[in-house]
Amino acid sequence: MKTAVVMSVGLLALSGCASQMVSIRAVPDQTPAADNAAALANAAAFAEAVATESAAVESAAAETAAAATASGSPPEAHRGPEAAPLLTPEDAPPMHTYDPWERFNRFAYRFNARFDEAIFLPVANTYRRAPSPVRAGVHNFFANIAEIDSVINYTLQWRLKYGLRSLERLVINSTIGIGGLIDAASKLKLPGTATGFATTLAKWGMHPGPYLVIPLLGPSTLRDSVGFLADYGAEYGINVAGLYRGNVSWVLGPVNTIDQRANIDFRYYSGGSPFEYETIRFLYVRRRLIEDVGLHANERPKKPAVDSPAGK
Amino acid sequence: MVTIMGISRRLRPIAFALAWSAPCAISAQPIEPPPQSQPAPGPATGLSDSAGLRATVFGTPPEAMAPLPAKVPLYEINVTLPWRLPVPEILWFDAKLRVWLSAQDKPAPLAIVISGTGSDGNNKTISILRAALYGAGYHVLTMPSPTFSGFIVSTSSTGVAGDLMQDGQDLYAAMQEIIAHLPRKVRITDIDLLGFSLGGANAAIVKSIDASEGKLKIHRVVMINPPVSLFSSVGRLDRLFAATIGPGEMGVDLLYRRLYAQLANLYRASDRLELDEKFILTAAAVTLKTDAEFSQAIALAYRLQLVDMFFIGDLYAKTGVVIDPEHRPKVGDSLEDIQRDLRAKPFADYFTKVFAPYYLKRRPEATSASLIAANRLDIIADALRFDGDYYAQTNSNDLILNKRELDWLQDTLGPRIVVYDHGGHLGEIGDRRQVADMLDMLAGRWPRSAP
Repeated sequence: MKTAVVMSVGLLALSGCASQMVSIRAVPDQTPAADNAAALANAAAFAEAVATESAAVESAAAETAAAATASGSPPEAHRGPEAAPLLTPEDAPPMHTYDPWERFNRFAYRFNARFDEAIFLPVANTYRRAPSPVRAGVHNFFANIAEIDSVINYTLQWRLKYGLRSLERLVINSTIGIGGLIDAASKLKLPGTATGFATTLAKWGMHPGPYLVIPLLGPSTLRDSVGFLADYGAEYGINVAGLYRGNVSWVLGPVNTIDQRANIDFRYYSGGSPFEYETIRFLYVRRRLIEDVGLHANERPKKPAVDSPAGK
Repeated sequence: MVTIMGISRRLRPIAFALAWSAPCAISAQPIEPPPQSQPAPGPATGLSDSAGLRATVFGTPPEAMAPLPAKVPLYEINVTLPWRLPVPEILWFDAKLRVWLSAQDKPAPLAIVISGTGSDGNNKTISILRAALYGAGYHVLTMPSPTFSGFIVSTSSTGVAGDLMQDGQDLYAAMQEIIAHLPRKVRITDIDLLGFSLGGANAAIVKSIDASEGKLKIHRVVMINPPVSLFSSVGRLDRLFAATIGPGEMGVDLLYRRLYAQLANLYRASDRLELDEKFILTAAAVTLKTDAEFSQAIALAYRLQLVDMFFIGDLYAKTGVVIDPEHRPKVGDSLEDIQRDLRAKPFADYFTKVFAPYYLKRRPEATSASLIAANRLDIIADALRFDGDYYAQTNSNDLILNKRELDWLQDTLGPRIVVYDHGGHLGEIGDRRQVADMLDMLAGRWPRSAP
């Protein structure tokens, strides 16, 4: 019954985009004054971040250069065990990407683009009209539930400092933050970063595997998909406050999904490019590979084979 | 029973995607003003100097921005144009022309803004102009460039973009179609045109077409950083690419490897837990330091736009440069090799292998030289010189112009052009003076009488 309802709503929406000469639809207002004020307010913090990062790069580069001139041998031999060896351009994976399931992926990508345009995006745009405190509350509520998964995974990754931070956030936001509706922890200078099983698998050394476009969900890799299923399984298993099973999940699930979509500033094919699939795949896989480099900070990344595509 | 709670977290990573791909994405971020301006090295950079290159990449800093309204309502309009050519299967997403409208509640003049080379009708630059114009009481309609993939497929009557007059006619026809279908509550008292970069030249051409056809009665035109000769401007960008990135795919590969290593090292040193947009923006500001690096960013952004236009042109014109006309790619087929081949090709290749063959076949009297000459603003030199409704804003360090071209613009437009001493290419848009001057030009208050 529920499946039938969901499907008929979907079909209705899809038929609504059937060709007509001109279609006009309202999209969220732009707020140029506030955007510029925010940019201005961020200017100092941004300049500071740039200065810090620059200093870090320069000191690392100086160290590398000093070590290299000292002996002429590869620099990492002379660096302490705690120092991460610097990547060189030769360590970068090739520009082409490992994608053995490309045919499936491309059809899935097109399906996702159409679904997003016809259903996801219009719904998210409608949601964006809700007052911003309401949306913030919804967003914080779901982020707080996801914090449980972060606690578990930071522990599995043996990054206990962050696990503890997530735990503190969970406790603070669930109590002072009224069941997670307010992100009180961030206001107390305890900002969080979510993690999940995908990162845990990466930390344990699992290879990303082939690129995979999951229908409805978008770009992923085999490893990330497994991680995602595990996240879902964990949340379903824990079933916090009974939210993950039973009728309430049919309301909360879609609301969570819409909240996530409304917070992503991305539109399929807004750049009109015939090569968008290539571009997204390129960026997604490079991002994952760089994050993997960060997870294994003290290891020199394996030099990619000359003809082996990135991610293989 | 399966529930979908929690599935949505998978969506987050794609948010990251566009930040890395477009150097322009960093234009909202403030940077320190460069200490001094020195001429940028190399013959390829037009009039640009060090400050000009920086401004081109980063745009107007927030503290220099003109006052903008708190709220700008926005409508997205998708139009199916009756003269559209058959849409190739792999370009299904570009079948409709997409434009954006911000309408006033009361009768008001309509300002139509045309985007720059390869760009759509709702990017960062256009949003600044839209806000300024809407704040000054205009209805604002923003349109993509005729060289934008979505325009070529949905609107072009040829599929081969880059011919000023042909593109102008397609734009003009599309404007009529859109204006005819606007809701009745949008009451238009007058129509003005603006365009930046190539869009500036497009706007001027459209006005000249309207001057003889009279269907829209376009009043004034403001060109912002227009090219004088389309081909000499893109030729300059091609030389910039060759000089700073290197010819062919090799240069792109080297640049990519260097950026990858830099980004990975920065990320690892930063102790961050995820590679998010904020990190990319910071990393871009750290990585982009020298004139050569700014030049690379500009040249690469331009080349990536050319790649799309080249691909679509080759597909429509059946010229077989990268697409075998007998075996056109389908939705499931990889385009990676084609994209790689095209990245290595300069505009000169597009001209000689797609554009010229296509137009020479249809215009028996034309030659390659005449096609190049037809893509210069001086085809409407008389209108620019004698019609007082054409205006321009440009910068003395705009990299798409050389000295002779800037002189020509100043000589032709006389008091109706203003030349700022900063901003590079498009890096002054939104600046207080630029906005004030633009609004005065549009309202016919230019040149301002002496106080």
